Amino acid sequence: MPALLAVGCGDRTTSPAAGTFTPRTPGVLSVVTTDIPTPGFWEGTPANVTGGFEYELAKLLAKRFGLRSVQVKTEHFHQIVSGQLDGADLALDLITPTAERERSLAFSAPYLNSPPTVVVRTGTSVPDLATAQSLRWGVVRGTTFVGIVNAMVGPDGPPRLYDDTTEAVAALEDRQIDAMLLDLPLAVVTANRSHGRLSAAAQLPEAEMIAAAMPKGSDNQEAVDSAIRAFTADGSIDHLLRVWVGTEAATAETSIPLLQTMR
Amino acid sequence: MIVSLHALVIAAITVKSPTGPAWQFLVLFLVVIIGPPLLERARLPGIIGLLVGGYVIGPHGLNLIGAGNTTVPELGQLGLLYLMFVAGVELDIGLVRLHRRDVILFGLAAFGFPMLFGSAVGFSMSWSVPAAILLGSLMASHTLLVYPTVREVGLAAHRAVATAVGATVLTDTASLVVLAFVSGSQLEGGSLASIAVQVVVGLVALSAFCFLVLPRLVLLGFRYLGTDRVVRYLLALASLLAAATFAASFGIEGIVGAFFAGLGLNRLVPNEGPLMERIDFFGSAVFVPIFLVSVGMLLQPKVMVEGETLKLAGLFILASVGGKVVATFSSKRGLHLSMKETVLMLGLTMPQAAATLAATVIGFNIGLFDQAVVNAVLVLILASIVGATLIVDRVKNDVPVPKAGRHGLGRSVLVALEEPAQAQTAFAIAAGIAAPDGGVVRGFLASKPEEKRVREASLKELRRVGFAIGVDVDPALMVDSSFADGVVNAAARLEPSFVIVGQRSATDPAFGGPGESAAASIPSPVAIMSGGAAKIREVLLIHAQESSNGEPYDSVGISAELAARVGGKNVTIVSAGSAADLTPGQLCIAPVPSLDALAGSDPPSGAALLVVLEPPEPLPPGGDRWMVSLRQARI
Repeated sequence: MPALLAVGCGDRTTSPAAGTFTPRTPGVLSVVTTDIPTPGFWEGTPANVTGGFEYELAKLLAKRFGLRSVQVKTEHFHQIVSGQLDGADLALDLITPTAERERSLAFSAPYLNSPPTVVVRTGTSVPDLATAQSLRWGVVRGTTFVGIVNAMVGPDGPPRLYDDTTEAVAALEDRQIDAMLLDLPLAVVTANRSHGRLSAAAQLPEAEMIAAAMPKGSDNQEAVDSAIRAFTADGSIDHLLRVWVGTEAATAETSIPLLQTMR
Repeated sequence: MIVSLHALVIAAITVKSPTGPAWQFLVLFLVVIIGPPLLERARLPGIIGLLVGGYVIGPHGLNLIGAGNTTVPELGQLGLLYLMFVAGVELDIGLVRLHRRDVILFGLAAFGFPMLFGSAVGFSMSWSVPAAILLGSLMASHTLLVYPTVREVGLAAHRAVATAVGATVLTDTASLVVLAFVSGSQLEGGSLASIAVQVVVGLVALSAFCFLVLPRLVLLGFRYLGTDRVVRYLLALASLLAAATFAASFGIEGIVGAFFAGLGLNRLVPNEGPLMERIDFFGSAVFVPIFLVSVGMLLQPKVMVEGETLKLAGLFILASVGGKVVATFSSKRGLHLSMKETVLMLGLTMPQAAATLAATVIGFNIGLFDQAVVNAVLVLILASIVGATLIVDRVKNDVPVPKAGRHGLGRSVLVALEEPAQAQTAFAIAAGIAAPDGGVVRGFLASKPEEKRVREASLKELRRVGFAIGVDVDPALMVDSSFADGVVNAAARLEPSFVIVGQRSATDPAFGGPGESAAASIPSPVAIMSGGAAKIREVLLIHAQESSNGEPYDSVGISAELAARVGGKNVTIVSAGSAADLTPGQLCIAPVPSLDALAGSDPPSGAALLVVLEPPEPLPPGGDRWMVSLRQARI
């Protein structure tokens, strides 16, 4: 169910020098995502979003573009990456731009850069590739992680596919699978909120960018690009990450061990 | 069986498509190698080749270096700092001092009009205030891209050229200060007053660091660590990084710090010295090209030819070039320039490159500008460079070459020594002469062919003595059977602005020693030094004589200038006969018409005598033709 959340009128409107943003609904920034809640990124419920990194980023965007409110919609991840944004202006859903996805979507400048991170039940250790290959893996359908697990880890059995992160995490806790891949900040916050049941065991040597997705050919791309560059430069992105994902996320890239993979 | 084994081996070989840092750097350096010469063949500036090359390998071109690559943009940022550092260190501060009034008048106009017109263009398109002001400021700077062309035809000391060069210090500093305010307002947040206080305090602290602290620290570093050339280069590099870090800690863009560091070290890094050569080398081979290639990666020809981009580019060109035209022509009367000189000045100040590109990239990175603005600025840069090149080519040969003045006397001082023991005094004098012009000192030691091996051992000591004084004299041997010929050959190669010949004795022979013989064939002023002082405590200047028609000799003026440069306020004017009564620590400077100085004996131990010969051209009115005849007779 879509939720309409007031963010108040921004006093800063975007300048034509940085691109112009034209929302589908006047005065409203409509955003689509998959899971609400997604720990640290979308908090609350679809009807009542209460915070989260990507939700607050949407509010910042709305304020910069001089829009009154943010409207949140939900859609399956594989549908979003195939270009079905449910009429929203943009998607904020930890999406990694790929050449294939660029055929149906336009991507902004990246707002996060995070390596895929292995999440396991606490007590499971992943010291080397051989151990990683012997685990039962799970990934969210339609994500780049499907290809990454197969190409970089090459598990003994095929990875199980889940519709969203919540389902995959539940399967991990239920011992249906032994390991799953998540973007590093999400892996850190998922482990932190699992009351010690889960931990981020290793990161893969692959740089993954996270960007906002827009309909292919969107005239708003320049404005969103400029906004994300501005939020990166003035520290807003870093601030949101620390508030909603935690300070550990900022240092996790150096504290979580690197797994030597097949590629 | 063997064939099938070969087939198996071949089948097992896999060739992966190239990836990784080595591949990316290879692609990058291929662009740096191939791009500029290709464009230069089409009579376009090489800088355009780097920008176009960046596009070709970038995400909008062949995507050999993708959008997610962080190495090239990060190296590009370092290149940007380097570019601004070089811009500051290369500027001729001496010219600013010499033409103070003209520089201020023209500098204000050259900054003010483009700033006004550029901002007006931004406001007319409903841009935000910071974006419009940043647009104005990026048009208000300029890069002396065509200056080498003007210098080649001997116009470097022309008043119009000197004014344009000097004004660059003002325009670029003012533009970067505006950039500091704009980026501060975007990145720091808060009220206008708090931003202003933050930026002003930051700029004051940065100025103190770059102009007071840094030069002293670097000078100390040069003295105590600088005998190794690598260390001298690294000290310069560390200075620019320290200044950029210092600026960033006050919320000011790093390029402002890098530019200020360049200005601060301007005197310590002479333009023609070995250190500048190294800075230029690494800059032009690695850092700056990588920055330009990284900017080229932002190029989108598709966006460039869009109506909106072309409209923007047209307005930018109108505002920028229009601003410079109004600035130069409105200053014409005040500066008393001819039409051709005014056009030459316009050509010099029209190119937009370094500071413009720097401010544009920062505007893009902080989200003030989008791709269309960046591409329109790149069109402006291309148009301004091509336009300026054409203008300067058209007028450069019609502007009269000025007579060499005393400014620039220290641009390049050649010290030729008969004995290494004189190095301490000669280098100290040369360093004093070179300092006001930010000039360079080169040391040569005479050697007969058969003495080469023995004399080579002395070069290390000469280098050490130079570093102890604070100059890199880059010593070399002048291997020649005649000392005079060696000096003439070295001067012909280096084209120095002033030559000091260190002779064993000023009186043996009384006239026509090797120094005087060499001077006959050297177009630059020459002084002969004899004796030596461990430390120059006092400078005595022999009282000037007038020629028969009452006009002063050139050597008299040069002697006075040398005395002021070496002795500062500690100069005593004495009569010609006093040269014989020198005490240790005294340096006596004597113009050649004061014949008593030459006729006297060598200076006593611990004192030095510097005899300044009358320069060969132009002849003094009513001239001392006997001297010229004497010189010619000795060639």
